[in-house]
Amino acid sequence: MTPTVSASGLSLRHGGTRALDDVSLRLSAGVTGLLGPNGAGKTTLLRVLATAVPADRGSFTVLGHDPGTSRGRQEVRRRLGYLPQTPGFHPDFTAFEFVDYVAILKELTDRAARHREVRGVLDEAGLGDVRGKRIRKLSGGMRQRVALAAALVGDPAFLVLDEPTVGLDPEQRMRFRELIARAGEGRTVLLSTHQTEDVAMLCHRVVVLADGTVRFDGTPAELTARAAGRVWSSDGRDPGAKAGWRTGLGTFRNVGDPPAGADLLEPTLEDGYLLTLDGAGAEVTA
Amino acid sequence: MTYGTTGGTSGGGTGWHVSEEDLRAYARGGLPAPLLWSADTHLTACAHCRAVLADVSDPVALDGGWERLDAELDAPRPGFLESLLLRLGIADHTARLLAATPALRRSWLGAVTAVLLLTVAVTAGYGTGGSPTLFLALAPLLPLAGVALSYGPALDPTYEMAVVAPTHGFRLLMIRTVAALGAGLGLNGLATLALPGYGLRALTWLLPALALTATALALTARLGPVLAPSLVGGGWIALLLTADAARAGEEDPLAPFTAAGQGVSAAVTALAAALLVLLRDRFDLNSRSTP
Repeated sequence: MTPTVSASGLSLRHGGTRALDDVSLRLSAGVTGLLGPNGAGKTTLLRVLATAVPADRGSFTVLGHDPGTSRGRQEVRRRLGYLPQTPGFHPDFTAFEFVDYVAILKELTDRAARHREVRGVLDEAGLGDVRGKRIRKLSGGMRQRVALAAALVGDPAFLVLDEPTVGLDPEQRMRFRELIARAGEGRTVLLSTHQTEDVAMLCHRVVVLADGTVRFDGTPAELTARAAGRVWSSDGRDPGAKAGWRTGLGTFRNVGDPPAGADLLEPTLEDGYLLTLDGAGAEVTA
Repeated sequence: MTYGTTGGTSGGGTGWHVSEEDLRAYARGGLPAPLLWSADTHLTACAHCRAVLADVSDPVALDGGWERLDAELDAPRPGFLESLLLRLGIADHTARLLAATPALRRSWLGAVTAVLLLTVAVTAGYGTGGSPTLFLALAPLLPLAGVALSYGPALDPTYEMAVVAPTHGFRLLMIRTVAALGAGLGLNGLATLALPGYGLRALTWLLPALALTATALALTARLGPVLAPSLVGGGWIALLLTADAARAGEEDPLAPFTAAGQGVSAAVTALAAALLVLLRDRFDLNSRSTP
């Protein structure tokens, strides 16, 4: 199957920091999760793939188009939906006006066709009833859905979502995941997150990024399997563990190389993720 | 719009009907805006016109018309600025792009007007014997600031989305620049009318205003939308201070407002505009380099 996105050797420096270092990946239809700690380079990679910033080195294509050329970049942008990490809104616009504004930027200039499209994506995002409300009066979750509706304008083949569930309460997060799952049907979606639950619930594939490099690229089950036999329970934090934290049961969950006779536990995606990072900035509470 | 009353029949209480000729054009999809929007609105309330439309339309085209009408009913009423732009004949999609321009908001225009009123009052207070230096020094900075406030990551909350949209960044920049510059120059022009005693001298801000704005835009391609206008604005003030120190007498105009200075401004405007066109592709990428 021809990949939607094919990237090779992407590198980018910000000042003295290497934000991306020789990143290569291929993305096909379905939802791919991009996991990594803060500062791993997730947002930078997404912005490069969304054609917002150029890479210093390396190349990539989206649907066969090379964004390195002006014409190729425009073709990519015609098939792209992008939800930035902190989407901005014009404060006086209603939800309808804002999505309409983005639709115009996406070259939908015919008024009737554009309004039909705007109504469609707002309905798809569950915002049909509030489309006439000013954005500043909407809740954070609803604003995030407005931004997703804007990203969906024009039926993009490649959808880039930068931490779309951050800052949402559990119920909003769940609703947003449903929307992303639906949006991912028949599309290629790249979703950055630092929440393993997002990946477990949504993604058929996961890429772990740390210090600007790809540390893992495979299925969530394969990432989980990395921790098989390397998670154990103990009454206190095991000093030999790479990470350990107290669970709700009062016992400690440890990941790393277990001591002989350890009480092994079923691994989770999070365990596999922590072991993959292994010193690359994982933050765990002990 | 060629409306006519037909047989005294009231159209949904409006008292008039869309002419059959316009309804035929509507059915063909050939009725231009804003006539189209009026017809859309009228058809929602007038059973008579809907019936006439059904008679003059083929069913497929009529379905398209109903769909358009349906979409129209969903669209919120445009705000003050958008309505004004639509009345001026601006296409609805361009009007919406302009409605999102910070430098066209009433708060900004109000602030510029207040600054100009104050400056004109101070300048007029000196009497007409001298040079309107304060006004001439300030006036070019206001359009520059308006254009600087129209584009870029610092002031446009949707900048990131706009950058990755297929609409060329340069086109968006130009649409907003023309509007912001038009508003800025228009207000300056009105302020100039309040200083009739200075004659054409009071208009010598115009070419420097164009030169500063064009130079700032050309530099924006390399330096970004904050640093470039700041440097150009700072450079203008430094130039005026230097010219002030160099002039022979208090009553002499500063160098930028002499005939030679005006020529230099015109040349700088042309060169900067050419450079801006050469660098237009740079506006298709994000000018913010931090992650």
